[in-house]
Amino acid sequence: MTRKQKRLSVIIGGLAFLGAATGLIFYALGQKASYFYMPADLTTASVQPGQRIRLGGLVEKGTVVRGEGATVAFSVTDTHKSVKVIYTGILPDLFREEQGVITEGSFGADGVFVADSVLAKHDERYMPKEVADGLKAKGVWQESTN
Amino acid sequence: MVETGHFALVLAFALSLVQTLVPLIGARTGNQRLMAVGGPVTVTGFALTALSFAALAGAYASSDFSVASVWENSHSLQPLIYKITGTWGNHEGSMLLWVLILTFFGALVAVFGSNLPATLRANVLAVQGAIGATFFLFILATSNPFIRLNPAPIEGRDLNPVLQDLGLAIHPPLLYLGYVGFSICFSFSVAALIEGRIDASWARWVRPWTLVAWMFLTGGIAMGSYWAYYELGWGGFWFWDPVENASFMPWLAGTALLHSAIVMEKRSALKIWTLLLAILTFSLSLLGTFLVRSGVLTSVHAFATDPTRGIFILCILTLFIGGSLALFALRASRLTAGGLFHPISREGALVLNNLFLTTATATVLVGTLYPLAVEALSAGKISVGAPFFNLTFGPLMVPLLILVPFGPLLAWKRGDLYAVAQRLMAAFAAALVAMLVTGLFVNGASVFAALGVGLACWLVCGALTDLAVKSGFGNVSPAIMLRRFAGLPRSVFGTALAHLGLGLTTLGIVGTLCFGTEKILSMHAGESVELSGHTLRFEGLYPAQGPNYSEDRGRFSLIGADGGIAAEITSAKRFFPVRQTTTTESGIETIGFSQLYLSLGDQGTDGSVVVRLWWKPLVTLIWGGGLVMMAGAAMSLFDRRLRVGAPSRRRKQPAAMPSAGVP
Amino acid sequence: MLFWVIAAILTLGASLAVLLPLTGGGKGASSSSDHDLEVYRDQLAELDRDASRGLIQPAEAEEARAEIARRILRLGNTSQADAAGTRQPSRAARLVATSAVLVVPLLSWGLYSQVGSPDLPSQPLAERLAKNPADSSVDELVARAEAHLAANPSDGRGWDVLAPIYLRLQRFSDAVTAYRNAIRLDGDTAAREAGLGEAIANAAGGIVSADAQSAFEQALRLDPANPKASFYLAMALAQEGRLAEATAAWQKMLGLLPQDSPWRGAVQQALADAANRSAASGEPATGPDAAAVDAASSMAPQDRQAMIDTMVAGLDEKLRQNPRDTEGWMRLIRSYVVLGKADAARDALHRGIAVFGADSEEAKKFTALAASLGLTATE
Repeated sequence: MTRKQKRLSVIIGGLAFLGAATGLIFYALGQKASYFYMPADLTTASVQPGQRIRLGGLVEKGTVVRGEGATVAFSVTDTHKSVKVIYTGILPDLFREEQGVITEGSFGADGVFVADSVLAKHDERYMPKEVADGLKAKGVWQESTN
Repeated sequence: MVETGHFALVLAFALSLVQTLVPLIGARTGNQRLMAVGGPVTVTGFALTALSFAALAGAYASSDFSVASVWENSHSLQPLIYKITGTWGNHEGSMLLWVLILTFFGALVAVFGSNLPATLRANVLAVQGAIGATFFLFILATSNPFIRLNPAPIEGRDLNPVLQDLGLAIHPPLLYLGYVGFSICFSFSVAALIEGRIDASWARWVRPWTLVAWMFLTGGIAMGSYWAYYELGWGGFWFWDPVENASFMPWLAGTALLHSAIVMEKRSALKIWTLLLAILTFSLSLLGTFLVRSGVLTSVHAFATDPTRGIFILCILTLFIGGSLALFALRASRLTAGGLFHPISREGALVLNNLFLTTATATVLVGTLYPLAVEALSAGKISVGAPFFNLTFGPLMVPLLILVPFGPLLAWKRGDLYAVAQRLMAAFAAALVAMLVTGLFVNGASVFAALGVGLACWLVCGALTDLAVKSGFGNVSPAIMLRRFAGLPRSVFGTALAHLGLGLTTLGIVGTLCFGTEKILSMHAGESVELSGHTLRFEGLYPAQGPNYSEDRGRFSLIGADGGIAAEITSAKRFFPVRQTTTTESGIETIGFSQLYLSLGDQGTDGSVVVRLWWKPLVTLIWGGGLVMMAGAAMSLFDRRLRVGAPSRRRKQPAAMPSAGVP
Repeated sequence: MLFWVIAAILTLGASLAVLLPLTGGGKGASSSSDHDLEVYRDQLAELDRDASRGLIQPAEAEEARAEIARRILRLGNTSQADAAGTRQPSRAARLVATSAVLVVPLLSWGLYSQVGSPDLPSQPLAERLAKNPADSSVDELVARAEAHLAANPSDGRGWDVLAPIYLRLQRFSDAVTAYRNAIRLDGDTAAREAGLGEAIANAAGGIVSADAQSAFEQALRLDPANPKASFYLAMALAQEGRLAEATAAWQKMLGLLPQDSPWRGAVQQALADAANRSAASGEPATGPDAAAVDAASSMAPQDRQAMIDTMVAGLDEKLRQNPRDTEGWMRLIRSYVVLGKADAARDALHRGIAVFGADSEEAKKFTALAASLGLTATE
């Protein structure tokens, strides 16, 4: 190989590498990014059982039921509609009734949302951003001046 | 004292403007006196910023609630240590810490840069001054920590309880030392672009600064990861959280920079690429600051969300990233390209390293920014989490890790891959054995687990092989080998240690992810549970009172082989009344390199408590490997060749120095 | 004043940092190519070291040496081009220098005058709490009392003093705790039970809950004429919708209350509201009657009295710890006389005299003060 050919092959190799990496990124974004929904969005959007999503809203008052061991059932609501969620694990410290929460998981065949992670707001001062935005858009919640 | 600090801050801002403009004009007109202003002004600016920071820290330590930021983020009952660390546990204070470190590094260049060419030094200080000036302005205009309250409230609103922890005391300063350390590399790059030439001493200066910044950033990330691990009570060490990514991107780019700077120093090759990488690395640091400080991302770190701050930082970001890249586009063609090399050579290996690392940086960048972009286009809300990064980042890292041991063994210019492969046979054999042993004899080991252990072993043995080969193992007598080993340049040890640390971290990650076990159950006092061969007995919940919180301590006993109590583990739920917040303190018992980790959940009505237990094999190696990497960087820093002689103070007989290379 | 001196010194220092290098002689700096040459020499030396240690093959070393030599040669060409570039300092440079020296003081003082609060001294908490109680704000007094109670949680009298102040400051849940502690430690009185009830009711947003009711009932057992307890129990009836009974209770109260009682206004207000509500009888009788609660809870004279009492008690306490404070004793004696507590004033006088000795100057001062206030040493 001449020097020119050598250089060319190096450049082509590099470009092929970058192309593969870009393809991988786009494939992964399509497959692995999970969309965020509020309960009321679920009626319009078609979410298949087993598809991974994030479900956010407020923990509905009086729906938290502690089952056997560490399994907890509760409803997530945006005041228009609510969805039953089942979660096994330790709830975050800031998990409370009528407070913002984000759950991640998928719907089972029976329409119950099985969450494998539950995030509550990080700080007393604000809600999870997605939930706050969603509730604001629905006119349910106003940002407190505090 | 508080107002003295405030005044010093304003004065430091005025000086930073002088520091930006005067040396720059001096360098352009070739005026020695104007250029000479840079040094003293930089040092004075640092002294004033330090005074300002000390005044703020003093206000925090003495609970001076007439200062608004103290009132918002402190409480008189907090222990003194958290009062002081609270200085940077909030937006305003942490930005002041940021500029303090920035001016400190600038002052170091001013003091130790007397052997730099005068125009380079003047330009570097000017760029450093410009970064400082914008951040001073940012602080004074949108995040002034010295805003006063009159009359002063009598009690503060307490620091976010999650942040009341010693990990917080160390994590942000380390991270900032890293972030801001890259500003020096950035300033050197922009200075070279302004001058249109790269001095030979350029690489010799940029490499140690990259090392310093990289060392602290490594420490900061490791510390942050450990803090999240024990404080958040979820048992995870890395969440691919956007804020974590914000610090991880500069680390990846900085690692690439570290390697390309070697090529540049040794071979004067890859000059333009190194320069660009230095600009990109600091740009990613700025991006990290923007993401965390603007409130674009919601996280424990986003202390307060204020749109004006976000826009201001976005402007700074645009100014520096856009400006430096535009300058690069204009001037890069003027710079002369360096030496040539064969694809299979040390240079080639380092280029490959750069290719992998920058691509990995890009995947993290895309994963972090994509949700923001989607939201900005209001095409719905998505989250990009661990599954995405596992699919993209993982495949990029594995080949890189496989290639690591080859790099240091290849010769410069033209290497012999076959000879290197022969030398690595022992390491390969060791990795194979480790793989087989894991696959065949460890219960529940998957193929991936075995491959992971093999990879980690390959890295560790590869690093050791590097040292062995360089001290002449097998070619010379043991006595000579020992002498050679002792006489190896410290940067060789540095490289080997850093790669060894990487292997240890890999081993820790593989161990924890593949062999960890976990149990969630509800326990009554007196009940026992068994996890991966360890028996734990729950002794019960006991209330206790802290200085500014009350807690319920769950006491657990680890039952030893003889049936006696081998250790006591305590996990607690803490309630902080001022913020009406509960936190979980996890209970951790370290056994060898592994840890038993448990955290308390909710109390049931029948007196039981939900307990989550993890057995995390080799987990401490994740951070231990980070420490080893830091040690490697420190070792390289003390290599004598990184100290550049100046024409005026040339060493008398450089070659006659004793081989030990003692400074 | 001290601040301005420090600010001036800092400004001077900063200006000097700009000025001194400008006036100093321009050192004949070496050109960049000298620096480059030095670096290349160093690289050669390093190469020799590596070669002698066997870290690099002789052939490779030779090649590298040749490469560095080529760089040194290239250096010779560029350095000649460099030398022509240096120019003499111009008038423009002098202008830059002057404005740089001026901008530091002007900008800093100008900007600071906009953002700073130069007249506001630092106020460390410890210093604020150590101040004379008479100069302290209510918040500071409360903080001091809290600090005292954190150290001595079994001081019932302290809780008793603090509880009504919490109530006044609308820190209702703290008030509940304080009243409970006072009752636990010092036994219950009608005032404490009634205060507890009021705190519980206010903590619940004005609703007189069962807890609050039982506290008020206990208060009435201890003192059947306690107006606060009677008022709130009637309020509880009104909240349950038993307006007729509530009205009857308030009217009965009105008959029993002395003419100058601060409660009369509140009761009349409540009666008027009740009348309005029963007129509009379709309206559900839920929630507290905000106006009445307000009227009751802003019975200023009584509570203000409580506040002054605390301040004086604080001073008294301080004097027990640091008795050699002539001014303090005189203020205490005067305060007690003004409050109409002749016995306490007399006690303070005796204690003050005892501290300094009966024959001391101070004792004479105290006696003279007492005489001027119309207080005699004995009844």
